[in-house]
Amino acid sequence: MTLIGQFRDWLINFMPEWAAYIVAFLVGVVAIIAFVLVMIIVFIYLERRLIGRFQVRLGPNRCGPEGIFQLIADSIKLLTKEDIVPAKGDFWVHFLAPIVTFAPALMVFAVVPFHKGVVLTDLDVGILYVVAISSISVVGIYMAGWGSNNKYSLIAALRAVAQAISYELPVVMAAVGVILIAGSLSLSKIVEAQTIPFFLLQPLGFFIFLLGSMAEINRSPFDLLEAESEIVTGYNMEYSGMKFGLLYLSEYGHTLAASCIITTLFLGGWQGPLLPPFLWFLIKVLLVFFVFLWVRSTVPRLRVDQLMAFAWKCLLPMALINLLLIGAQVLWFPKALPWGMMVVNFAVAGILILLWSRLFALGGGRVEV
Amino acid sequence: MTVLDIVFWLLAVISIGAALAVVFLQNIFRAALFLVLCFFAVAGLFITLQADFLAVAQVLIYVGAISILIILAIMLTREMWRGNPGGRFQLPAFIIALGLFGVMVWAVINTSWQISAELPLVPTTAAIGSRLFGEGGLLLPLEIAAVLLLAAILGAIVLVREK
Amino acid sequence: MSLKLELLTPELSLLIFALLVILLDLGIKQKKVLAGVSILGLLVSGGFVLTLWGRESASAFNGMFLVDPFALFFKLLFLIAAGLVILASQDYVSKFARFQGEYYALILISAIGMMLLATTGELISIYIALELSSISLYILTGFLKDPKSSEAGLKYLLLGAVASATLLYGMALVFGLTGKTRLTEIAQAIQTIPLTTLLDSPALLLGIILLACGFGFKIACVPFQMWVPDVYEGAPTPITAYLSVASKAAGFAVIARFFYTTFGVPDWLSLNWGILFASLSAITMTLGNVIAIAQTNIKRMLGYSSIAQAGYLMVGLAAVGVASMADTLGRSGLLFFLASYTLTNLGAFIAIIAISNKIDSDLIDDYTGMGSRAPLLALGLTLCLISLIGLPPTAGLIAKIYIFNAGVHYGLLWLVVIGVINSCISAYYYLGVVKVMWLGAPVSEEKVPSSWALRIVLALTCLGVLVLGIIPGKFVQIAETAVRIFTS
Repeated sequence: MTLIGQFRDWLINFMPEWAAYIVAFLVGVVAIIAFVLVMIIVFIYLERRLIGRFQVRLGPNRCGPEGIFQLIADSIKLLTKEDIVPAKGDFWVHFLAPIVTFAPALMVFAVVPFHKGVVLTDLDVGILYVVAISSISVVGIYMAGWGSNNKYSLIAALRAVAQAISYELPVVMAAVGVILIAGSLSLSKIVEAQTIPFFLLQPLGFFIFLLGSMAEINRSPFDLLEAESEIVTGYNMEYSGMKFGLLYLSEYGHTLAASCIITTLFLGGWQGPLLPPFLWFLIKVLLVFFVFLWVRSTVPRLRVDQLMAFAWKCLLPMALINLLLIGAQVLWFPKALPWGMMVVNFAVAGILILLWSRLFALGGGRVEV
Repeated sequence: MTVLDIVFWLLAVISIGAALAVVFLQNIFRAALFLVLCFFAVAGLFITLQADFLAVAQVLIYVGAISILIILAIMLTREMWRGNPGGRFQLPAFIIALGLFGVMVWAVINTSWQISAELPLVPTTAAIGSRLFGEGGLLLPLEIAAVLLLAAILGAIVLVREK
Repeated sequence: MSLKLELLTPELSLLIFALLVILLDLGIKQKKVLAGVSILGLLVSGGFVLTLWGRESASAFNGMFLVDPFALFFKLLFLIAAGLVILASQDYVSKFARFQGEYYALILISAIGMMLLATTGELISIYIALELSSISLYILTGFLKDPKSSEAGLKYLLLGAVASATLLYGMALVFGLTGKTRLTEIAQAIQTIPLTTLLDSPALLLGIILLACGFGFKIACVPFQMWVPDVYEGAPTPITAYLSVASKAAGFAVIARFFYTTFGVPDWLSLNWGILFASLSAITMTLGNVIAIAQTNIKRMLGYSSIAQAGYLMVGLAAVGVASMADTLGRSGLLFFLASYTLTNLGAFIAIIAISNKIDSDLIDDYTGMGSRAPLLALGLTLCLISLIGLPPTAGLIAKIYIFNAGVHYGLLWLVVIGVINSCISAYYYLGVVKVMWLGAPVSEEKVPSSWALRIVLALTCLGVLVLGIIPGKFVQIAETAVRIFTS
């Protein structure tokens, strides 16, 4: 029984059943939206401050103690700005694009388990739902690029589509490895199956999922659709005011969603010793986000062809090998699962990454045309 | 009228309206977006039938992959701003489509269908899995589909690469 | 679960060789090897078919994969057709420097699709096998990538997609009515439905009609023939030959199995689709022949002629339907006609490939005096055209006698009369080509040379046409064995 379910059963004492359903559902939705928005604020603040440290500067620190009110000031600025629509743009497409982009980021959280039983709906097809829903936001980015009637926006949209389609495959295949071990698509059951966090059982899958997710949510170094040096800021260039704000929010919303999903699939979700479960969940999410930041400030942006090559020639074959390996282990050596599997998989992951990194030696290697 | 009925009619109207918009809109890009909406409404219809796996697969494949590829193809089409050109076969095509529609509706309404009394399976995922891979399942078509995809990939490579 | 993989060996071995061809294409410079490997794959697969021949009928995958003489007969036919097409492509492939491996692999994959089509007894498998054979053919049609070939490929793809949709509609209606996907189970379900309910179910009849439309596209009968001339003209000529022969045979294989197994009982149902095919047959042969007369391009002419031939073949289908369960004659006539048609039409196309490769034209007028420029090729072409008319001493004659006999036997005399009249009409344009070749004055004295591969293939097909025509007994026997045991 989920927490929402219990709440609903309690509500039935005071009101008709249909009303109880609606009220309980609305309360759950509001709670999730609140969580997402708060976390996005935390993320944005952390990102600006930490990137500052990474780049040996201070970051925003003027507005409030340690600059914590900076974001609020920025939001007020955004809200009061004029909403501009390009004259030859497609008004309705331009108008709907931020909503179509942001809604999937929120919808993902319907199935994320924050604690045992604390989940809006524990879908039986949870992980598939996440993959399906998050693929919709690309349509939104595409609409933004098209509706703006701007060539840079359109180029960004084209890049976003190519990127999303290419990286979807390895990500899903890495997730299938998790499903094979957990024996369920439901995210709660996947968390409960993790007596040992899955990133230890299949490090290769974790590696692929992490990188693939970063590409899917367009984090640097895969942020080609807003590459400032090439196409200004890409798909959101013609947006201003709150519409821009929504696009900005959805970027962080997707980052948060990706952090939560990685935490759930590979890091054992809410599970952990001593500390309360919800805190564990938060710590792990922030840890994943920190890794994102770390990569962002370390690795330079890829070129388009490198990006494509990385997905198709590196991640996809590795994901296939990983899937084959995990499948064989689950099928033939279910007894040897935890420890034997861990040793073998770490060895395989190490060898494969070493092999492929040879192929992708940047700078040092000869550039083949 | 139950809640399920209301949801069904809502989804049905949306999907048919969107499908009509796909056909009649001049702006191909908007037509493609309505196609996305249509696919979405169909996924909703699957949910009303308690086929959650099918619904999610519908969104994943049709919304997440196929319609995006359609949009990509539209972008790469030259002279797409000319819109959806009408041909001289518009009227005959309309009449034939209408005739086919009439016959279909007539046949579907007048047939005494065999309606299963079984309740829908929940959860569906495991059932679908064993239906596909298990004893007496659909393993053969599944494997043929793998070869079919290989042929399609070969075709894509052959037709797209420069001479 | 026992997979009974030995029953799948023909398809599996062919698939392995197809993959081998793709992989070898990466490393090998000498592309002729690829053709050799493909032929080897077809031979191995054919060997497996022969080891299965003569065994008890068996099935794998719970009755989805049926291995009976009927299926094996068609598998052998597709393998032979694919082999001849690959040999006939030898001169042609030099036109495209790249993608030779893909070309051969796609021919093999398409053959796998057709083999599966002849051997499956289940709706979903039938549909996917159909798509497998079709998609490979769409690609092969557009392989040249010049405007004509691309147009042909696109046209074929679009119309094929519509046909697939029609087919799926039909399948959905039949499935909806019976709740089963296996053909034998559908047949049982139809028998258990009370007659009054069945008569009140227009969905079943509509389903049958839509299925006939969907499959009718594959065999290119009127009114689903409009893709034929353009596609045949635009596609690489070996692929045109493949399309006109193997793809059509696959269509007939699936129709024969599908309608016979599923809608063979009760009698009135069988009679219904028998009459449906009889009327389509009459229209198809008449229209095909009449339009063929006006053609000036020999590939287009053979395209329309192949439509007409589909009409003759449908006489056999109609006989099967009208005779309901009693019949073996109609089906065996169908099989023998298909075998003879395959060899004959392939031979004609091979001769055309050889000639047009050198004179670079497909116009009938440019064939004048070919009898003196390339006597052997002209002789082969003449023999094949005579066989297409149905004159002695060729296979065409026996095939036509056989199939018309079945028609008369089951009371389709009117159809047979139309068929005979059509044969006379067809003689006009077939003999027109012969006349131009032998009696016309040659445009130039230059000889038309041809490669050894084409000569061998042409010789083989002509030999086959003659053997089937002069001593048909053994092959009629094989065809009769092939239809006697229909697993159910």
